[in-house]
Amino acid sequence: MHITVPRLLSVIFSIQIISSPSVNAEEARDIVRQSIDHWRGTSSVGEMTMIIHRPDWERSMSMQAWTQGDKKSLVRVTAPQKDRGNGTLMIDNSMWNYSPKVNRVIKVPSSMMGQSWMGSDFSNKDVSRADDIVDQYTHTLIETIEKDGHKVHVIESIPLEEAAVVWGKEVLRIRDDHVLIKQSYFDQEGELVKELESLKIGEMGGRVVALQQRMSKVDEPDDWTEMQVKSMNFDVELDDNLFTLANLRNPRN
Amino acid sequence: MMRSMVIVSRLAWRNLWRNHRRTMIMLTAVSIGVWAMIFMTALMRGMVNEMIRDTVRNLPGHVQIHHSEYRDDPSVVNSIPQPTGELLAALESPEVVAWASRVRVPAVISSERESRSVTLLGIDPARESTISFVADDIAEGRFLDDGADNGVIIGRKLADTLDTELGKRVVIMSQDPDNEIADRGFRVVGVFDAKTQQLEESFIFTGIKTSQKLLKIGDRVHEVAIIGPDFRNVAPMYKNIAAATGPGFSVLPWNELDSYIGTMLGVMDGFVLVWIVVVFLALSFGLVNTLVMAVFERVREIGLMLALGMKPIMILGQIIVESLLLLLIGLAIGNALAWLSVVPLQGGIDVSIVAEGMEMFGASAVLYPELLIADVIMANVIVILLGFVASLSPAWRASRYQPIEAITKV
Repeated sequence: MHITVPRLLSVIFSIQIISSPSVNAEEARDIVRQSIDHWRGTSSVGEMTMIIHRPDWERSMSMQAWTQGDKKSLVRVTAPQKDRGNGTLMIDNSMWNYSPKVNRVIKVPSSMMGQSWMGSDFSNKDVSRADDIVDQYTHTLIETIEKDGHKVHVIESIPLEEAAVVWGKEVLRIRDDHVLIKQSYFDQEGELVKELESLKIGEMGGRVVALQQRMSKVDEPDDWTEMQVKSMNFDVELDDNLFTLANLRNPRN
Repeated sequence: MMRSMVIVSRLAWRNLWRNHRRTMIMLTAVSIGVWAMIFMTALMRGMVNEMIRDTVRNLPGHVQIHHSEYRDDPSVVNSIPQPTGELLAALESPEVVAWASRVRVPAVISSERESRSVTLLGIDPARESTISFVADDIAEGRFLDDGADNGVIIGRKLADTLDTELGKRVVIMSQDPDNEIADRGFRVVGVFDAKTQQLEESFIFTGIKTSQKLLKIGDRVHEVAIIGPDFRNVAPMYKNIAAATGPGFSVLPWNELDSYIGTMLGVMDGFVLVWIVVVFLALSFGLVNTLVMAVFERVREIGLMLALGMKPIMILGQIIVESLLLLLIGLAIGNALAWLSVVPLQGGIDVSIVAEGMEMFGASAVLYPELLIADVIMANVIVILLGFVASLSPAWRASRYQPIEAITKV
C-alpha cells in the first residue's frame, strides 16, 4: 500500500483538526474576556434595582454601584429605607460588608463566601469573583448560532482541576456584541442547576448591555433574583478613595 | 479450737438447709445480685474503654503539641514549626510508638448544592495511618498516597449531606495567615466510615504539603500527635516531651485534651464501687431478715445449747458462718453466671437501636463487655465483708440470750 496524494492531504488536514482546539480555546477565552470587559468597562457608575422573588413574597432593593477595572467595586443600597446604607466593597478577592444598623465593617470570611449576598440568589462569590470565569476555566467554542440578527457564541467552560469552582461546567451564550445572553451552571453529572439569563437587552450609557438579568434555580423555579439596570455610565472619572473601607462606612458621595 | 470450728461449721451448714426453701430464695437473690454487680460493671468498663480508645484514635493521640494559643483559638496563625532538634529527638525516642504532625484548620467545604463547615486536616499519610482511624476506615476509594496528594478524603455522612461522591470535585475554603481567602478545588478520592456520624461530618483530610501550600504557611503545622504504648500511662512520655518543647507550646495528654473522657475514666472506678455497694445494700436487707428469722425460730434451741454449756461466742460464730456460707454459695453461682454471660458477648453487643443516644456521649453502637479481675475481686470482697458486718447484729443478739429465758420462751 503506497501513500497517495489524497491520503497525505487528509493526514495533514487531520493534524490541523487536532491542533484546532487550542486555537478554538484561545478564541473562546477572548470572547468571554471581552464580554466581561464590555460589561465593566474601565470604570462604571450605575443604578440598579434588585428584585428578590419567592413563591409567597417579593421585595425589591435599589442600589448604586461603582466599578473600576476588574478588581475594585462598591455597591450601596439606597432604598428601601430600612436597608439604606448597607454596602459591599470588593477589592481583588476580598469582600467587606457594612451595615449601618450595627455600624460595623465586616470582612466576609471564607466561610461565608458561599452564602447568599443580601438575601438574593447570588452568592457572595458570584458577586465578588465574577471574572474568575476567564482564568479558572478552559473554554471551548461549541457552536455559533444565529438569533435575532445576531451571532451567538455558545461556549462551554470547564473549570480547571484546582479551580475553586464547584460546577461541573458552565455554558455561556455570548452575543457578537459581547452581551452575555445566558450563563448556565451544570453540576458534575451534567445536570442544570441554575441559570443567569438576560431578559432585556438595550442601550445604556452608550453601550449595548443586559438591562434585566435573572438568576433562577432549576429545582425551585419560583425562587429568582432579578437585576434591573436603571442607569449606567461607562468610563467615568472615579475618585481614588471611593474604594476604601472609610468610604464604605461613611459615604462621601 | 479446731474441733469447735468444725462443730460450728457443721451446725451452720445443717442449719442452712433446715428451711431449704428460704435458703434457696436467699441464694437466688444473692446470685442475681452478684451477677448484676459483675456483669453491669463489665459492660460499663467496656463502654468507657471503647470510648477512650475511639477518642484516642479519633485524632488526639496520647499526647499532643500545639501552639499555646491554638486550643483557645484554632486559627491558621497559631501554628508551630515542624519538630526539630531536641523535640525531634524526644519524639524519636523508643518510648514513643508513633507520632505525626498535622495541619488543622477550620474550613468550609462546598459542593454544587450545599456547603458545610468542617475541620480540614493536612496529614502525612504514612505517619498518620499508624495513629488515627482514617486509613483503616476508608470505605470507598483510596487513602492519600503521600503528603503532596491533591485529593481529599471525606466522611460518608458529609458526602451524603453535600450530595457529592467519590470522584467528584468539591471546593474547600479557608483563610491564610493574612486573612485572605484560601480556596481551591479538590477531587474526592476517598470516603471513610467512622463509628459516629459526628466524625464523618466534621473532618476532611488532604495531604499535609497540599494544605500548607493552600494556606501559605510554608512547612508549619498546627498539631503534633504522639502515641505511646498505653493510654492509661502517658505520664512519663508526656513529661519527656513537655521538657523538650520550648515556651510558646502547649503539650497536653489526652485526658486533658478531652477532659470529658479523661474525667470519665476517673469517675468510672468510683462508680463501680458505688454500684456494687448499692446492689449489696439491697441484698443486705434480705440477708439480715433471713438471719433474724433463723435466730428467732431457734430461740429455744439456742437456749438449750447455752444451758448445755456452749459458749456464747460459739453461737455468734455459728450464725456468722451460716451467713457466710450462704453468701459464698451465692457468690460462686453469681460469678459463674456473670462469666457465662460475658463470654458469649465478648464479640460485642449490637445496640444500634439506641445508637443515636449512645452517640450523644461519644459511645459507639456496639458494646464490648470487659471483665476485669480487679472488679470481680472487688465485688466478692465487698459482698463478704459487708455480709459479715450485716450478720453481726442478729448473731450478737442470738449469743446474748439468757439460757433460762430462751428455753422457756414460747
